[in-house]
Amino acid sequence: MIDRMKRAFGPEVPGLLGFLMLVVVIFGVTAPNFLTGANLGSIAFQLPELGILTLAMLIPIISGGFNLAIIYTANMAGLTLAFVLMQFGGVEAGIGPFLLGIVLALGVGALSGAAMGAVIAYVGAHPILVSLAMMIFLRGLGEFLTKGGDISGFPPYLATLGHGSVLGIPVPLILFGLCAVAWHVLLTRTRHGFAARMIGSNLKAAAYSGVHAKRTLVLIYTLSGVMCAIAGILMLSRFNSVRVGHGEALLLVTVLACFLGGVDPFGGFGRVVPVVIALVVLQVLSSGLNLLGANQHLSTAVWGLFLVGVMILRWGAGRWKERQRGRG
Amino acid sequence: MKRRSFSALMAGVAFAATLSGAAFAQDKPTMGVVVKIGGIPWFNAMEMGIKEKGAELGVDASMIGPTSADPALQVRAIEDLIAKGVDVIGVVPNDEAALEPVLEKARAAGIKVVSHEGPGINNVDWNFEMASAQGFGETHAELLAQKMGGKGEYAVFVGSLTVPLHNAWADAAIAYLGEKYPDMTLIGERYGVAENVDDSRKTALDLMAANAGLGGFLAFGSQGPIGAGRAIEEQRKTGSVHVIGPFSPGQGRDLVKSGAISGGFMWNPAEAGRVFVTMGKMLMDGTEITEGTDIPGLGVVSPDAANKDIITNNLIAINAETVDGLADLGL
Repeated sequence: MIDRMKRAFGPEVPGLLGFLMLVVVIFGVTAPNFLTGANLGSIAFQLPELGILTLAMLIPIISGGFNLAIIYTANMAGLTLAFVLMQFGGVEAGIGPFLLGIVLALGVGALSGAAMGAVIAYVGAHPILVSLAMMIFLRGLGEFLTKGGDISGFPPYLATLGHGSVLGIPVPLILFGLCAVAWHVLLTRTRHGFAARMIGSNLKAAAYSGVHAKRTLVLIYTLSGVMCAIAGILMLSRFNSVRVGHGEALLLVTVLACFLGGVDPFGGFGRVVPVVIALVVLQVLSSGLNLLGANQHLSTAVWGLFLVGVMILRWGAGRWKERQRGRG
Repeated sequence: MKRRSFSALMAGVAFAATLSGAAFAQDKPTMGVVVKIGGIPWFNAMEMGIKEKGAELGVDASMIGPTSADPALQVRAIEDLIAKGVDVIGVVPNDEAALEPVLEKARAAGIKVVSHEGPGINNVDWNFEMASAQGFGETHAELLAQKMGGKGEYAVFVGSLTVPLHNAWADAAIAYLGEKYPDMTLIGERYGVAENVDDSRKTALDLMAANAGLGGFLAFGSQGPIGAGRAIEEQRKTGSVHVIGPFSPGQGRDLVKSGAISGGFMWNPAEAGRVFVTMGKMLMDGTEITEGTDIPGLGVVSPDAANKDIITNNLIAINAETVDGLADLGL
């Protein structure tokens, strides 16, 4: 069964699942309220925004790149939606303007992603530089447009998106689930996903084998931008306000989640399912430590230790496998 | 595979061993205070106050300081507190609007909410302030007027022209001086340099060079008094030009003692921490807070029930006598 799981979702899955179970058991014993509906609900509500941002980071990393602009792209998309809602009366805005705002927000996300992708593909600049430039540009633009303040006061139905539940499942979690499935299918079942992985492995070889590398790169960053926009809309509905700086602290956590989930930092390899499990582990660790009343800096340190530990274990596992092969 | 699981198990056991110590004390009422950011002196002092008062009143009170001043992290911390089932949540908001939905959730779960430095926030039982913008500005203005003998020219620094609070202090101070001390004149507009030592120093030097009659600086913004004080020390104008403003006692200790900074006011974060717990206990006990209620740490209050604000003026002076004690608190 483990072999089947490995084949379907990636070799990281059983190990991460085991670790997740272990963490749950430990906190279940030590933290009194850990295994309660309230806490699981809290985890389920907190996971999605980080999760969707991580998905936005995932595809560029798989293609051998990086997207530092995810947070600001998300907030620019959120601001776009907020501007539209404000134009139509703020709290009184109907469902029509909301849909229009969503479309425009996704458009803004796609546009900023496409711009990055185009520069990376056609100018050949390094993705870290390009996305850093985009991040600074978007932050500046956002602060200029909002004068550093926030926009708040949205129609009440937005709260359903951020805090509501359907059949007991939080709406943000459903949204995250849909996004994750879409990304999984995109990466494993489509030509584009295949091309993205090939580019990440070796850009030149991929181009010589007939992959339209440049177009693929533009598409990768465009999709990343769209995913950012979804995260931005979710953050807007969760906080009932938008500001360019919301969620800044999550940027590096998304990178952490990708690497924990076994994504190759040099590109080419990575799957959605282990990344999702890694996200759950991070959130469970963070919520569990909070329940125990641990210092927040300690939980950050634990995340860091966790990443270092996983890397060492992976190295060890790799050596072990090689030796087995040598013997056989 | 096996090795991985085994090491993971060991790591997990180590966690549990170090952390399980925190999981006792369930009978006492619990309270969690989420502040702007953890690990800085201001909130370390507040944490001290929270712990101290918690022990005194029998409340299991703790502070949560996010690792960066990001409202998203505060929202997460509050969600975890709701899950933990605390009786009272305290918060010093980074962004009032961003916290409204999660605080609404907390109150729907029957949790009492107290905030500090969040006068516009709606989903709270009470918000308390240790200083009103007006009182803070006027207290500083009065000190400046006394030092300058009620006459002469003065300049005003703020952290930046877009910091609402600093500008509200400056507005109050300028209005107060204009009304009570007509012989004091403001030179220039206000200068947005007071979050930067070097800019404050340079601006102070330029202003002193250009205005021979300049007698004082009113600097709102943590680095403004420090920079202006250094400029005065360089120009050997200690005693003839006065610098008034709130600053970090530890950073300004030497300048205050030499007289380059005349003084300033602040509120005590440790006291704010104690007030959090006191008010949390009052809310849990169902004590009504009305006109004339005496809240330890705040004094006799006159709450604004419509806006759920309790605004007091509990300022402490930072001057040559008090600076050591405050600096020793790590402030």
